[in-house]
Amino acid sequence: MNRLLLPRIVLGHNAFFGVDHLSTKRGADRAAHFSDVKNVVAIVNEAVVSGAGGLMLSTHPKAAVICRAIQSDPSLVSQLEIFPLLPYAQKYVTRANELGLIRVVTQTLAEASLRDKIGLGSDFLRTVFRRDPLDMVKALMRLELQIFKKLNVSTVFLHDAISDLILALNMPQIFSLYESTLRKRFGTHYGVATKNLPLLVRRFQEWDLELPVVLTHVNKIGFHVNPSLKECEDALQNPDLTVMAMGTLASGFLTPNEAYQYVNRFSSVKSIVVGASTVGHVHATFDAARNSMRLVNK
Amino acid sequence: MSKLRGAVVGFGKLGLLHAGLINGLPGSTLSAVVESSRLVQKIVGKQFENVEVFSTVNELVSDNKPDFAIIATPTGSHITIAETLVRANVPILIEKPLALNSREAIPLTIALAENWVPNMVGYMGRYIDTFSKAAQLIQQEVLGSVRMIRSSMYIEQLLKPGEGWRYDPNLSGGGVLITQNSHLIDKLRWIFGEIIEVSGNTTKLVSLDVEDHVHSYLKFESGAVGYMDASWSARHFRTPTISIHVQGDYGTLDVNDDEVRLYLDSPKLGYSGGWTNWQKPDLYRPVPLDIGGTQYTLQMLEFLNAVTNHTDVQSNVASGLKTQKIIDAIYESSRNGGAPVKLVSK
Repeated sequence: MNRLLLPRIVLGHNAFFGVDHLSTKRGADRAAHFSDVKNVVAIVNEAVVSGAGGLMLSTHPKAAVICRAIQSDPSLVSQLEIFPLLPYAQKYVTRANELGLIRVVTQTLAEASLRDKIGLGSDFLRTVFRRDPLDMVKALMRLELQIFKKLNVSTVFLHDAISDLILALNMPQIFSLYESTLRKRFGTHYGVATKNLPLLVRRFQEWDLELPVVLTHVNKIGFHVNPSLKECEDALQNPDLTVMAMGTLASGFLTPNEAYQYVNRFSSVKSIVVGASTVGHVHATFDAARNSMRLVNK
Repeated sequence: MSKLRGAVVGFGKLGLLHAGLINGLPGSTLSAVVESSRLVQKIVGKQFENVEVFSTVNELVSDNKPDFAIIATPTGSHITIAETLVRANVPILIEKPLALNSREAIPLTIALAENWVPNMVGYMGRYIDTFSKAAQLIQQEVLGSVRMIRSSMYIEQLLKPGEGWRYDPNLSGGGVLITQNSHLIDKLRWIFGEIIEVSGNTTKLVSLDVEDHVHSYLKFESGAVGYMDASWSARHFRTPTISIHVQGDYGTLDVNDDEVRLYLDSPKLGYSGGWTNWQKPDLYRPVPLDIGGTQYTLQMLEFLNAVTNHTDVQSNVASGLKTQKIIDAIYESSRNGGAPVKLVSK
């Protein structure tokens, strides 16, 4: 596969889904505003005009509506690379409170088989009943990625709630399965989100696996940066690493200028993902990002 | 020094999280999983290297006794499993709540009295940075004496009758009061001291067998009074959301998962008069490994430290039992139309 070129600026999805790492209340207010997909599309359009080349989109239940809205605009489809982040962990966590973890997986797959079995292929239902764990992972990936089929996708990220667990449990086979499924079935690169960057780099070296594109928090106050700011800064110097930086503003704690000056110190950071919830916010953040960043342009 | 070998009993969502922490932290390793589901046994057996799989905790203690165990099974099985482990000299971390009710927990307290081992109940909310800061401020008596406390816990989890063990009172002990809201009760006790009287009402909003809403008046040993209000059928709350508002002699304090807001009439103990705010990034403490929230790591580190040094922790079984007695008292009050129920604090 050719060397991956990431868009410098990627619009984040959190505001659209009510995720706010600084304020649950503000998150809920934004979820209400963005429950109308027209408000989402307005921000996406403004972000593209202001230099965003990509959109991060978790597989939140509302993501399908956003995907359909983007699909209906051919110029958006061509200008915007979509970066799926899967799975939307909270969906499974809340449902697992009711059903237990295993039943959430089997029931999700069973429901999907009945609903969409033609769309998902004839072997899907068999997977559910055979209950092979690795087959179940592949089936879940297919289910989660279905909504992105008609969009421009080059890299798919695995949510840190899952990837950090796999890193901790020392299970390279899951990453290999994820990588090969994305490559063979979807023709995309594989990305991994983490809150433990040095651990990720160490594990992949131990496993002798090629490093994935990494989505991780990069900010000078060390918010969501583990085990320490110093060790993460050292890891970010790794020449083999391609990083999409998230949390650069530390949930609005840092100004865009100071945030991007810091990010600029690391040549491994090729791209940043940043959220915006108003047109004014898009301009303030994206202009600062464009002006102060010397990231590789696509 | 060799690594501590840990077992996880009950391999659901929280069992998996604890297994990750045990295996990923530098001082410990996952040695065994106890799980009754055949499918889970098969997955663990096939995918996890050097981890033994057992169907029962009795097999675990006789075949591959670990240095400690995490109990993350449905609530109704906690006590039997914990008692077996304590009698086999295995330190335990029990997921919250401790038991179906305080009476049910008696065999475990007897076992611990006869053969004490490090023991913890998993009220991880004590390790959330904002609540740690609030507890520190109250303990410093920045507000002087606390007079009034208003608190709530809401999540949108259940808008129609639920399925599974959490909604069967025989397996879970009850509804939102004993499950998610036990975290709030534990936090109130931890920050403000013991609760000596409750007057509560529980209501079914959507469930058939367990309560979906609870409201209780609370009287604290310190003289403070207040209330808690909780529901798992609360729209617009994406994640479990706990908020506490405090009125004291010298000002007010507001704390939730996102921030701490202190208001003082005049400067006190180095804090300026007016508003002082701390947000999550201000208070963030990095951890050696973060899986799903630093609070779980900080909790595990304290437990592992207790196991290594054979010492006690604050959130031990005795503390979990006190939280359980408050839950029992609120249920009792609710059965009697909200009549006050007094608790013996010592």
